[in-house]
Amino acid sequence: MTLPKPVSRLIEQFQRLPGVGPKTASRLVYHLLRVPEEQARNLGEALLDLHAQTRFCSVCFNITDVSTDPCAVCRDDKRDGSLLCVVEAPLDVQAVERAQGFHGRYHVLHGAISPVEGIGPENLKIGELVERVRKGGVQEVILATNPSMEGEATAMYIHRALQGQGVRVTRLARGLPVGGDLEYTDETTLAKALEGRSAM
Amino acid sequence: MRIVRLSLANFRNYIRLETAFPRGAILLAGPNAQGKTSLLEAVYLFTHARSPLADNDRQLINFLALREEQPFARLEAEVEDSNGPLRLELRLFYERTTAGEPRFRKDVLVNGVKRKPSELPGVFRALLFLPQELRVVEGAPSDRRRHLDEAAAQADPPYRTAMWDYHHALTQRNALLRALQEGGGDPSQLDVWDEPLAAAGSALLLGRARALAEIETLAAPLHRRLTHGLETLHIRYHPAWDPSRPAGDADGLQHELPIDAVVDHTKWKADQVRGMFLDHLRATRDQAVRRGLTIAGPHRDEVRFLANGIDLTTYGSRGQARTAILALKLAEVEWLRARGGEWPVLLLDEVFSELDMRRREDLLADLACADQVFTTASDPEMLPAGYRECAQAWWVEGGTLKPYSPETEKS
Ligand SMILES: Nc1ncnc2c1ncn2[C@@H]1O[C@H](COP(=O)(O)OP(=O)(O)OP(=O)(O)O)[C@@H](O)[C@H]1O
Ligand SMILES: [Mg+2]
Ligand SMILES: [Zn+2]
Repeated sequence: MTLPKPVSRLIEQFQRLPGVGPKTASRLVYHLLRVPEEQARNLGEALLDLHAQTRFCSVCFNITDVSTDPCAVCRDDKRDGSLLCVVEAPLDVQAVERAQGFHGRYHVLHGAISPVEGIGPENLKIGELVERVRKGGVQEVILATNPSMEGEATAMYIHRALQGQGVRVTRLARGLPVGGDLEYTDETTLAKALEGRSAM
Repeated sequence: MRIVRLSLANFRNYIRLETAFPRGAILLAGPNAQGKTSLLEAVYLFTHARSPLADNDRQLINFLALREEQPFARLEAEVEDSNGPLRLELRLFYERTTAGEPRFRKDVLVNGVKRKPSELPGVFRALLFLPQELRVVEGAPSDRRRHLDEAAAQADPPYRTAMWDYHHALTQRNALLRALQEGGGDPSQLDVWDEPLAAAGSALLLGRARALAEIETLAAPLHRRLTHGLETLHIRYHPAWDPSRPAGDADGLQHELPIDAVVDHTKWKADQVRGMFLDHLRATRDQAVRRGLTIAGPHRDEVRFLANGIDLTTYGSRGQARTAILALKLAEVEWLRARGGEWPVLLLDEVFSELDMRRREDLLADLACADQVFTTASDPEMLPAGYRECAQAWWVEGGTLKPYSPETEKS
C-alpha cells in the first residue's frame, strides 16, 4: 500500500532526526493525524519560527531571539564582563548555566578543531574571540571545551592565540563526574583528575 | 575467567543461539563450515569488540539479516572471574544519520551501561589461537603490531589508552598534513596535534618495549622446550622512531642501527622520550608536509622473532614459525595471568592439526589448569584421548549446538 504523499513525506522527515527510526516516525505521524488540527499547526509554526526567529548573538555567538541582539546574557549588567567562558556549543552554555557557579559571560565557538572533518580554526569563532579580548575588559578566559582530544587541541590553539594579550587563560579542571564512584571511574578520567588536582 | 552463558542473534551463521558453558575443557566438533570458528570469534569479540577474522564489522551480521530493513546482530554474554559475574553485550546495527543515510554502528554495553569500545579491553580476557596466525611470524609488520596491541591492551590499561590516543591523534595530524600539502596554510597548526601524538606515542613505545621484554622472558624457555633444547628464541623490538638512535641528518631521518644491535628500550623515562619524540616531529615537519603524512612513529614499528639469531620472518621454515607462534601464545597466556591474576579464556581453533602428537600433549599439559579452554576440531580423533574424555563436547552444525559424546558416536 502506498501512503498518501503528505504522510510519507512527514515520516521521511521525522526519520532524519537523531534516534528516530521508521517505526517511531510512523507512530509520531499517525499520532499527529489524530490530534486537533490546532495542535499540529502550533508544532508547524514552532518549527518555522525556530530558524526564522533566531540568530547568533553578534557578541558571544550563542543563539538568541532575532529581536534581542546582543543576547540577554551579553546585555546583563549584573554579569561579570571580565570573565569569559569559552564553549564549543550553545548546549554547553546551558550546562554551565545549570551548574550555577558562573556569573561571567560566554563565547560560543560552534565546534572544535578537527582536520578529519575539515574543521580548522578559521571555521570557528576563534578570530572573533581574539578580537573580543583585544578590545579589552576581559581579565580571564576559561577554556571549557570538551575533554576530548579535539577539545584539548582547540583549547591549546586558543591558549597560544591569546598569548601576549595580557589575559589569564585557564582550563576547566578535569575532575570526576559528581556522583561518580571512584571504583567505577575509568582510568583516563582518574589520571586526568589526579593530574589536575588542586590544593584544599 | 570464564564465559557462563552466551546468546547470539544474527551473528554469522547463528540466527539464534542460547547456550550455557561449563568450566574446564570444551570441545566443539562438527563438519566444515558449520560455525565452530565463528563461535570462538563470537567469544573473542567480547575482548575488543573487533574481529581478527573480519575486515569490517558488517561481515559479522548474518547474510539474511542484512537484507532486512534494519539489519542488526546482537551478542550477549555472562562472564565471570573471581570478582564475580559481568554482563557484556555487543550490538551491531544500522541507524540513520541526520541526512537520513543509513550508518553502521557498534554499541558496547557492560552490565547494561553503554561504554566506548576503547574501554572494553581488559574487562573480559581471552586469547585466540588461529591456524592463520602464522602470519604474525611470516606476514607484514602490521600483523605483528596488531597481535602485540591485542595482547597488551588486555593486560595493561594504560597501554590501551596510549594506543587509542595515538591512533586518534595520528588520524587528525595526517588529515591536517594532507590539507597543508594540498592547500598550503600555516604549519604551526600542527602544534596542537604534535603534543598529544608525542604523549601517546612515547607511552606506546615504552609500553611495547616493556611488554615485549616480559613476553620474551616467558617465551624463551617455552620455545626451548618445544624445540627440545635446540633453539633459542629472541624477540626484538625495532621502533620506527627510536630514542636510542642518533638524531639524524638535516631531514631529521634517523641513522640505522646494525640489525643485530641489542637495545634495551625499557630504561628510558616517559618524559624524556616524549620530549625527544616531540623534537623529532618538529624537525621532520617540512618533510611530513611535503609527503602529507606522519613519517616515523609507533604506527610503523617492527617486531622481529629470532631463532638462534636467524630472523624467522625472512628465513624461518614453516615448522619454525609454528613453534615460535605457539611459544609466543603460551607466553602471552602466562603474561596475562601474571598481570591479571587469572587465566584468560583460551580459544584454540584447529591448533592440534598443526602439531605432532607429542606437542599436542605438551600443549594440553600446559593449559590443563585454565579456567576454560575451547577447542575446535573437525576431526576429534586429532585430539589426545585424555582430552576427549574429560572435555564437554558439542556438535556444531548449521549454526546450532547440541551435546555430543565422541565415544558413543563412534560405536
Ligand atoms: N555474515 C554471515 N552470515 C551467514 N553466514 C556466514 C556469515 N559469515 C560466515 N558465514 C558462514 O558461516 C559458516 C561457518 O563458518 P566457520 O568458519 O565458523 O565454520 P567452521 O565450523 O569453523 O568450519 P571449518 O571446519 O571449515 O573451519 C560458513 O559456511 C560461512 O560461510
Ligand atoms: Mg573453522
Ligand atoms: Zn551574547
